[in-house]
Amino acid sequence: MERDVLRRLCLLNQLSLTDTQKDEIIGFFADRDADTATLDAIDTENVERMVHVMPVLTVVREDVVNQPFSREDLQAGAPETDEGYWCVPRVLD
Amino acid sequence: MRMNKIVVDDMFLTTDMPTTAGSKMLEGYNSLFEAEVLTRLKAAGYTVAGKAKVGEFGADLLGETCYFGAEYENEVLQYPAAVAVKNGEAEAAVVFDVNGAPRRGAAQSGLVALKPTYGRVSRYGTIPVVCSGETVSVIANRGADCREVFAVMAGHDHKDGTALPDSMTEQGKASVTKKNKVAVLSSMLKGANEEVQAKIASVSEQLAKNGIEVVTVDADIIAYAGAAWNILMCAELCNNVSRYDGVKYGYRTQNYTNIDELYTNSRTEAFGDFLKSAILFGSETLSTENYQKVYDKALRVRRVIRDNMVALLADCDALLMPAVSAMSYDKAMVEGDKYLPYKENFFTAPASITGLPVVVAGGVQLVGNAFSEDVLLDLAELV
Repeated sequence: MERDVLRRLCLLNQLSLTDTQKDEIIGFFADRDADTATLDAIDTENVERMVHVMPVLTVVREDVVNQPFSREDLQAGAPETDEGYWCVPRVLD
Repeated sequence: MRMNKIVVDDMFLTTDMPTTAGSKMLEGYNSLFEAEVLTRLKAAGYTVAGKAKVGEFGADLLGETCYFGAEYENEVLQYPAAVAVKNGEAEAAVVFDVNGAPRRGAAQSGLVALKPTYGRVSRYGTIPVVCSGETVSVIANRGADCREVFAVMAGHDHKDGTALPDSMTEQGKASVTKKNKVAVLSSMLKGANEEVQAKIASVSEQLAKNGIEVVTVDADIIAYAGAAWNILMCAELCNNVSRYDGVKYGYRTQNYTNIDELYTNSRTEAFGDFLKSAILFGSETLSTENYQKVYDKALRVRRVIRDNMVALLADCDALLMPAVSAMSYDKAMVEGDKYLPYKENFFTAPASITGLPVVVAGGVQLVGNAFSEDVLLDLAELV
């Protein structure tokens, strides 16, 4: 893996790494890539993807109107709120 | 004897105790609702004695990445939920098998663990990490205790879209027949040390003494489960933890001047190194360049592995394989390789990636066909 790819992955995932961590992760990716390459030995031509391990179709249930939680309850664990709103830094200048 | 005291691991939402998933990100987090399995267990008369620590989002070996500290005894890593059962603080532990930790913990503690067929127990109210494979499981001293707790937890839950309809479960259970035969998977023995291999031999001998035919089969394909699982596990983990951004709940950094810094610094400060490695690898597998050749490939390999395991199970009750490479993880080993869980997944991945049920007993795993929990627990009582 090149550092530029790692930089892009960090950006996408909102993570910041130190130089030491970057070196470790690059080594880790080399191991993972080698591991992944072993799967090439398995012929998956004409094999369907298995996303769900059990044959369950999307479950649809009746719509039932309810309101289990209040806004106050939902915001009780928020880092910062103001008059019922979640607060974040200014996004637009 | 009817049990009444259980411990749950910190992956289950509770309303009377914080739920942290072992992460700084959720330190002090209080849920507004509780996990469905806890509601069912309480209604049946069980008392929750407390919560056991887990590694960050339950994805590590045995809890070594827990923000609140790993548990070591005499420099040997311990799985907190298993310790609680072993010490008699609870008669059973209800745990969330995200990446095999409960099975490793039970194997190394000499306890019994049951990871049921995927979908038989509701995941509603658990912290989602690897949705396509994680399963509510139980650890206890005896198979009978696992059976008792499982009976209370199991069954359809309309709040969980992956919970199997009861009709499917009944049909599946009816199709299970006992064959009194177990197959040792020779391909899964590589990488297991002598002590673990001795456990396999000992359990095989014990089963044979009790009239179970034990055969050895080569099924090299199953040894690829670890590589495929690591891809799927990281991809799903990456998506699931993307919700933690320091805005609506969870940890928020004090060090920010704009929204990007708020997101990045909150996640960077709160997540541990192991989790970051999984997020980054998962993200890479889902990238445009890698999606087909890595993620999509792993999904197809999953089907090949499951088909092969089901074919083997047409002729036997269980596939016998190690749960761990060693019967203990010492501190130097754990701290010397922070990516050890990816390697140990070699042993736990076959059941994780296929959703097949597995019982840990006598320090080894017995993986069975879907809905064969009762047969597996019967076997556990023989070892």
